[in-house]
Amino acid sequence: MIRALFLTGLLVLPGMAVAQILLTPEEIQQTLSHGPWPPQLPPDASNRASGRPDAVALGRAMFSAPVLSANGQMACASCHDPGQHFTDGLPRAEGATRLDRNTPSLFNLPLHRWFGWAGDSDNLWAQSLLPILNADEMAQTPEGLKSTLQASPLAEPFETVFGPLNRQTPTAVLVNTGKALAAYQETLITGRTAFDRFRDALQAGDLARAGRYPAAAQRGLKTFLGRGRCNVCHSGPAFTNGEFHDAGLSYFITETRVDSGRHGGLAALLRSPFTLDSAHSDDPRRSGAWAVRRVRRTHADFGTFRVPGLRGAAHTAPYMHNGSLPDLAAVVRHYNGIDPERLHTDGEAILAPIGLSEEDIADLVFFLETLSNAR
Amino acid sequence: MFRLALVFSALITAGTAGSEELPIFDAHIHYSHDAVTLVPPAQVAKILRDAGVKKALVSSSDDDGTQKLKAAAPDIVVPALRPYRRRGELSTWMHDPAVIDYLEDRLGRFEYEAIGEFHAYGDDIQTDVIQRMIALAREHDLLLHHHGDRAALDQIFETWPGARVLWAHSGFDRPDEVADALRAHPRLWADLAFRSDMAGRDGLNPDWDRVFRAFPDRFMVGTDTFAPERWYYVGPHAQSTREWLALLPDDLARRIAYDNAAGMLGIR
Repeated sequence: MIRALFLTGLLVLPGMAVAQILLTPEEIQQTLSHGPWPPQLPPDASNRASGRPDAVALGRAMFSAPVLSANGQMACASCHDPGQHFTDGLPRAEGATRLDRNTPSLFNLPLHRWFGWAGDSDNLWAQSLLPILNADEMAQTPEGLKSTLQASPLAEPFETVFGPLNRQTPTAVLVNTGKALAAYQETLITGRTAFDRFRDALQAGDLARAGRYPAAAQRGLKTFLGRGRCNVCHSGPAFTNGEFHDAGLSYFITETRVDSGRHGGLAALLRSPFTLDSAHSDDPRRSGAWAVRRVRRTHADFGTFRVPGLRGAAHTAPYMHNGSLPDLAAVVRHYNGIDPERLHTDGEAILAPIGLSEEDIADLVFFLETLSNAR
Repeated sequence: MFRLALVFSALITAGTAGSEELPIFDAHIHYSHDAVTLVPPAQVAKILRDAGVKKALVSSSDDDGTQKLKAAAPDIVVPALRPYRRRGELSTWMHDPAVIDYLEDRLGRFEYEAIGEFHAYGDDIQTDVIQRMIALAREHDLLLHHHGDRAALDQIFETWPGARVLWAHSGFDRPDEVADALRAHPRLWADLAFRSDMAGRDGLNPDWDRVFRAFPDRFMVGTDTFAPERWYYVGPHAQSTREWLALLPDDLARRIAYDNAAGMLGIR
């Protein structure tokens, strides 16, 4: 019945203005797949600190604590600034030196299977260790981290969650630090948006409410689902398939150095001692470890990067793995005029120039902004 | 894949000599206009030498890249003439008569060992442009480096039964399908560029293992530098190639790494 009503496009309800739904029944079904939001997420079984309020509080304190870094001057929040949607506004992050990639926002991480632009980790606590150990970022060692924590105000809350520090090996302290940071980051979920109200209204058959979603956003959504086929990669409630693709962008870092992307990420993952298949996981069933056991490197992985989610994206410019596109319009224009010569003929067959007009581009950007804004 | 492959590799190389130094004939490599700008010829030559690539069948869109690279590394580059001036022509070139003028001009001015890599599927082979291109290959005794399906492959051999054809990516077909094509066409060779299914984390793919042993003289490797950045994958690719080839008997590994391409092209 509802499907039949939507086919009419316009619905006049008694006592109300005209509610206009521009989507076809097929597009409505596709739209429903991008919710509901927020998702109901169970605790991370691989992290015994997941969901514990004391661990979340510890992780929040650690996140902003420069004391975790070797020189005492850099915290997670130095790049993942809570005031800037947990990114830094820069094309590429600035650590001890200019880093190779854009600082990703930290929202909606529990929905990921792989973490980081190249998927170096299969879990959030392992990913949280990488900046701590990276010589160009916090430059810590497990031994240095343990002694630093023992002498810091964080020692007491750390021991409340994980037990006495002096009974833990430096590696255990490192992993537990990652688990506290992960417990905090799991709480960073973007709020409901104008798109979510539209989507839920469609599901409920409340066409009057759905009709309040601006026509420009609906037109942009139609492009997103149709001509643009953006939803092939930006799928599901988080608007990402969580996997890795060649977006047709340059991945030179310097004139003589390139970013290997997922290819290098898989090498890091496969030599990591901190995967879901490791003894550091707290999950005796090793849930989710099947992925790291089965994944394998391919030549096509070179220069591919993880598809970012789109919720909150309006607040996280600049975009792409190297921050080379300054705003959402630039991202849409990139895909609209993508250079097929950069793509392998048997690779990303989904990508081809789209031919959107300036009005189409504006509508698509409008739609994307409704994934970030409550109003 | 590589963790186990490296274990196998270490076990095998412990008992044999020089697997790390296995020379590579890269039979599928491009140096197109954008790569020429971003990775200069001298840098490309260094990349090839550092990777242990002793020979490379190079084709480019346009051909200028091949000539520049041949000048920088004449001992490595085996030139092939691609019938495109830009990669973007790969689905339309067979309908463009100007392609023939371009081929005839280049063939009159430079020396080549092959025409290709060209993309053609099914009845594309019957177009005037491709028929004339095959005739040119016949006149100049050149290998044809074909990217396409089995139907097109069969039509190439129907057009010129004496052709030598290198099937790019082995048609992305299954090992048994590739074996069927090799059985049907004794003058067909197959490159393994941009394929990753030959070996996995459990070792060599048994289906490929059978086909490699059944056709020990017909397979070769290639990097397929389809974007400029992928020149920096030549080294890692050569290394991973040596790793999976180490799972094969030494003689067969050496054939796939170098000898088969050299034999196909009559190069010592």
